[in-house]
Amino acid sequence: MRRRIGTTALACATLLVFAGCNGTSVTNDNAGGGSDGKDGKGEVTGKLQLTFWGGAARAQKTNAVADMFVKEHSGVTIDRQNADFGNYFNKLNIQASSHTLPCVMQLQGRQLNDYTKRKVLLPLDPMIESGAIKVDDIPKEIVDTGRGPDGKLYFLPYGAAYDAVGVNQTMAEQAGVGLPPDGYDWTQYTEWITKASAKLPKGTFAAGSRGGLPNFFIAYQLANGKQLFTDDGKLGFTKESLVEYWNMWEKLRTAGTTMGADAQADEPEGAEQGFIAQGKLLTDSIPGNALTPASATLASKPGEQKLTTLPMPSGPSGGGNAMFTSGFAIPTNCDNIPTAAAFIDFFTNNPEAGAAFKSDNGAATNQKVLQAQVDDPKLAPLKKHELELYQQIVAKKPPTILYPPGYQATFESAFTRAYEEVAFGKKSVQQAADSFFTEANAGLGG
Amino acid sequence: MKSSRTGREGLTAYLFLSPWLIGIVLLTLGPMLYSAYLAFTSYDLLSPPRWIGLDNFRRMFTADPRYLSSVRVTLVYVVVSVPLLLVLSMVLALLLNKGIRFLSGYRALFYLPSLMGASVAIAVLWRQIFGGTGLVNQVLSLFGITRGSWVGSPGTALWTIVTLNLWAFGATMIIFLAGLRQVPVELHEAAAVDGAGPIRRFFSVTLPLMTPLIFFNLLLDTIHAFQAFTGAFVVSRGSGGPADSTLFYTLYLYQQGFAELKMGYASAMAWTLVIVLAAFTGFLFLTAKRWVYYGDER
Repeated sequence: MRRRIGTTALACATLLVFAGCNGTSVTNDNAGGGSDGKDGKGEVTGKLQLTFWGGAARAQKTNAVADMFVKEHSGVTIDRQNADFGNYFNKLNIQASSHTLPCVMQLQGRQLNDYTKRKVLLPLDPMIESGAIKVDDIPKEIVDTGRGPDGKLYFLPYGAAYDAVGVNQTMAEQAGVGLPPDGYDWTQYTEWITKASAKLPKGTFAAGSRGGLPNFFIAYQLANGKQLFTDDGKLGFTKESLVEYWNMWEKLRTAGTTMGADAQADEPEGAEQGFIAQGKLLTDSIPGNALTPASATLASKPGEQKLTTLPMPSGPSGGGNAMFTSGFAIPTNCDNIPTAAAFIDFFTNNPEAGAAFKSDNGAATNQKVLQAQVDDPKLAPLKKHELELYQQIVAKKPPTILYPPGYQATFESAFTRAYEEVAFGKKSVQQAADSFFTEANAGLGG
Repeated sequence: MKSSRTGREGLTAYLFLSPWLIGIVLLTLGPMLYSAYLAFTSYDLLSPPRWIGLDNFRRMFTADPRYLSSVRVTLVYVVVSVPLLLVLSMVLALLLNKGIRFLSGYRALFYLPSLMGASVAIAVLWRQIFGGTGLVNQVLSLFGITRGSWVGSPGTALWTIVTLNLWAFGATMIIFLAGLRQVPVELHEAAAVDGAGPIRRFFSVTLPLMTPLIFFNLLLDTIHAFQAFTGAFVVSRGSGGPADSTLFYTLYLYQQGFAELKMGYASAMAWTLVIVLAAFTGFLFLTAKRWVYYGDER
């Protein structure tokens, strides 16, 4: 029994300490390759570690690109690591604490500043100036999504994703409501949902209980021209706007227009398994690049139903879309910067690499690579729709959101939880907004 | 001559023990001491730890409602699931202690869930069984009862994890079964001659003789329940939801350490749990003198 108690202590302590026993500063700018290596110039050879998130399909495509790079550069070997999105960042944090971050590490804007704050990433600007990494064919506003609060570029976006409103076209036609009009706003969207709700078959809902989905809320704020975060990384919008937003969703939920909160909590993870992909919802927010896999799931259900995607609802300030880019960064502990820079450039700009990766993680940011895919007669119609919608959105120059440190861990989880408390009747909208503001402002920015 | 031989034997013994000794010092004691230090620091894994004294503990008890919520969820879980597990295991052990046909088959069958344990795969299965369209609701619908998701509702989500814990009753049951085999038959016979019925015999003969094993299982199962993690993590997909209804202590500790990068705070939470468990164990040992019987010794 005593041993068991010991195990308790050890289980916790070992877990904690294993993660932290190398917890010395990683702020020392001791990147390998010497000072001259930081411009990314030098011999492209030796070992490289590459880490990214994604399932088997993405791993296969990423590996194909890595193989192409190795073939072009004899003497390079690439050790690849991948994990699902949730666990990826936990693993990255452990690697960062022990100075063993892989030389090429995938990042997103939403987590970027957790790492820039701790100074574990190398700025890529000197590598762009030296020509080791090229950004000529990437729109400036997309490149800028890889910048930290100090204005330096810390990851080079290779794929730009956007959130879209998914609509089950078949269901909409059967309900006689068609699609929302071009340039529709939030009022038109909720009216359209309400109108369709009465005409949908039993067991299906017009929309999910989505008041707790951060990306929908961000779209709402952008469309209304509100600032999301202040310069010091705290909440930039007002409590009143959040109350107004949650009241909108509560009105729909309590009227039975949307799915109930407990049923929503049952939704499987991953857009390709979500309720809209299963034919249970008329509309929902889905990642723009999830149209193809979600449609494949829906096609496997009876009724030959079809999905399409629309831009996010607009508002007085225009569209509600923002870009979520993914790209590769180089950590300060990297000892093979020239090869890392060459790989990032290859992955992002090489036409053959782009063709092999097939915009799997958002549309290719290199416009030539993207256009080649759009122009490809063999491109599947759904993928073509995904890429064309991306081009439409990016043409409107969507704003860049500078996500503060702690965004994912604090903002997203607190936002979802606060709305859950409303939907399950534990708090009023005002109380939930109060506690969300307190929690988010305490954890954000740092 | 003799002492030098003894010394040599001792040295040899320590040599054989050295892998374990090195392991415990480097991988257990060292990290434990380091985590005790971290409990008094602000440490985000990526920057050096910064000494903040008792701030982590102060925040825990005065400024973190989610911490208190995790304590509440864990206490409810311990208080409900441990007695249920003990009673269920005892009842099944009593049934299996009878001379029925295919007894060893039943024993193996009942122990099977424990072999699989409260693993990730089983927890995933649990999510399916207690989901809105899961097995439980499908069976209920045969009787005209319709209701929403059990795992998706804050009122019932915790109870699905309690049943997940109960499902792995085999280990506790096997220990009880071994104890029941040791209860002397002559005591039962003597009690029966004195006119005691089966229920009286259970409470006056079996139960007192089983108290050492009840004590043992109570201790193990309670510590295990305080540490519960996997079931809640999988059933709530790591969130402790819906609405923090399954936010177990260890799950919140994990969130703080690895998602929010507050490793100092997580260390303080871990050490608080260690202290609580040590206090609880001490308390149980103190009370044991009053209700645990070892043969003729009281």
